Amino acid sequence: MMYDYFSSIVSGITAKLEEDPHGIHARKRYALAVAALGQRLYSENARIAWCGVTAPFDLLNSMGVTSCFVEFVGAMLASTETAELFMQEAEDAGYAADSCAYHRAVTGAMLKSAMPVPDFIIGTSSPCTAGLAVMENMAKQYRKDLFVLNVPQSESPAAVRFLALQIEEMAGFVAGHTGQALSKNRLGEALELTNEATVLIKEIYGLAKQKPSPVDSRFLNNFGVVITLFMGTREGVDICRAFRDELSHRIATSAMDPSQERIRLMWVQNRIQFPFPMESMLGDSGAKIVVDELNDVTWEPMDPDNPFESIARRILSIPFSRNVDSRVAHLQELAREYQIDGAINPCHWGCRQGTGVRGIISNGLREIGVPVLNLEIDCVDSRNLAKGQIQTRFEAFTEMIQG
Amino acid sequence: MYFLGIDIGSLSCDAVLIDESKNVVASSVVPTGVRNLEAIARVTKDVLEQSGISEQDIASTISTGYGRTRVANRDGAVTEITCHAKGIQEAVPGTRILIDIGGQDSKAIHIGENGNVMDFAMNDKCAAGTGRFLEAMARALEVDILDLGELDRGAQSDLVLSSMCTVFAESEVVSLIANGTEQREIARGMNRAIASRTFSLVKRVAREIDGLTISMSGGVALNSGVVRALRESLKTDTIHIPERPDTIGALGAALIARERNA
Repeated sequence: MMYDYFSSIVSGITAKLEEDPHGIHARKRYALAVAALGQRLYSENARIAWCGVTAPFDLLNSMGVTSCFVEFVGAMLASTETAELFMQEAEDAGYAADSCAYHRAVTGAMLKSAMPVPDFIIGTSSPCTAGLAVMENMAKQYRKDLFVLNVPQSESPAAVRFLALQIEEMAGFVAGHTGQALSKNRLGEALELTNEATVLIKEIYGLAKQKPSPVDSRFLNNFGVVITLFMGTREGVDICRAFRDELSHRIATSAMDPSQERIRLMWVQNRIQFPFPMESMLGDSGAKIVVDELNDVTWEPMDPDNPFESIARRILSIPFSRNVDSRVAHLQELAREYQIDGAINPCHWGCRQGTGVRGIISNGLREIGVPVLNLEIDCVDSRNLAKGQIQTRFEAFTEMIQG
Repeated sequence: MYFLGIDIGSLSCDAVLIDESKNVVASSVVPTGVRNLEAIARVTKDVLEQSGISEQDIASTISTGYGRTRVANRDGAVTEITCHAKGIQEAVPGTRILIDIGGQDSKAIHIGENGNVMDFAMNDKCAAGTGRFLEAMARALEVDILDLGELDRGAQSDLVLSSMCTVFAESEVVSLIANGTEQREIARGMNRAIASRTFSLVKRVAREIDGLTISMSGGVALNSGVVRALRESLKTDTIHIPERPDTIGALGAALIARERNA
């Protein structure tokens, strides 16, 4: 059923793109790639791995494994307004309704046998320990092997070596389950593609920084996190190029309306995943999101001759995986680079990263003169969000910024 | 020339009419009820009757509160945060921290020296500690809500209601009554619970409050027990309560209507 569902989306978007073969349509191409990934995950012949967010997807792609982080499922179910059914299943099975809804949704999907059964699971200890717990449960439920990458919280040479050795070991674990040894050549090619995509991603973010910014509030929504799934593939490069080209086109055609960005905002952590008129709510006040915390490149190009260490350095460079000081410093850097007027932190319910450091992030941004709107909302479970309450907070925040 | 502010809250609908010199010419407060359009019509009619002017004499109307988009003839809608900050500057000049506890939300607003909002924090997950909460507690204690404010007079205990969920807190009150706890001690415990939660909101917007003028608006400011508990909690001798704390939002809306029409 799910395979058919994704196939119909793939067909629909393909047909739309064929109507305008020379158009850029970055978001449509991105949606097509995501739907095609869903299709692959539910196809009978694919080798599937459920993973943590920071798993090395380029390495897995080079080994012919269709892989995806579990939170992607929670977000996808929310975006299609079907998450509630699965979250209810998890709650009925005893999971607390206050726990993270990304994980409640994926757990419910697993309990209702709506998830593709993986061949194996690659957990990561960072950034999210709740996600790791989901994967531990998944390993038990499906009786599949779990490999955990323990990610240190520093970039010291010892930490890089420690993680690089684990990644090499992981490649052996994957080969053991697929029966296909790691090809250094294929991995090298994949990392070259990752580098190609990364150059484009940097260009995308560089364009987004312009004032007025060519992005609208939704253009790069979830981009930084989801694009990692396509690293090491030609498809990933093509998506990035489409995003870069669309922004260049918007700038070249002066498609930006300065009145639509009287207030430039930064979104902290994840976006609201279910259909929610955030863009119009902010737009009514002339505000728009020009940067997301998770949209950044913090790593050096991959070295195909030294792949495991390169990948380790990349994982360790992600501020979200590290201590709160790194995260605050990164947010301050983004705030300055994008010249933002304010930041919105959704403080996603049940999320350690979202709620645990709320005060520290607020203080860090306020230190550099950036006001912060702290919400306490659920980005996946629409039952926990009151539209009117959010509207009032958005409006009050923009009124405050405008004085 | 007159300016009208209408604040459509969850419990009450308030209107304030001011003249060009910012004098309050008329005001009205009615229960919002389930038909807020009727409440809006009623407060508008009230202020027109009180002032003896016609609707055409109103140069500008600004609405605020959760029902702000329900006012058909508004010239603008502004959030209650901005309106309360504006209103309190007129009623209690120099206010830097405003605590507003209304029917279904409570907020702390840090106001800058220039009168602009610097930061605000609101209750997010539930209506605990708000007017609705007090209504439920008055019901559980079997007293009129207007008598709730003085109910804790003479209470000495350190009791604090452990649960701030309105439903659970009501159950807790019933249990305390069953265990023979005096009504005044329960009332004090309830006020301390509200103060504790409000204190946290205040600290979120201003880490240091020493020396800052603190004021309170919203209907709950009329509850002297809650105000006493807040003074204790904030370790301050004075929380300024304007003459009509329940109409500060509407006053602010009227002042903004006047400013925008200047």
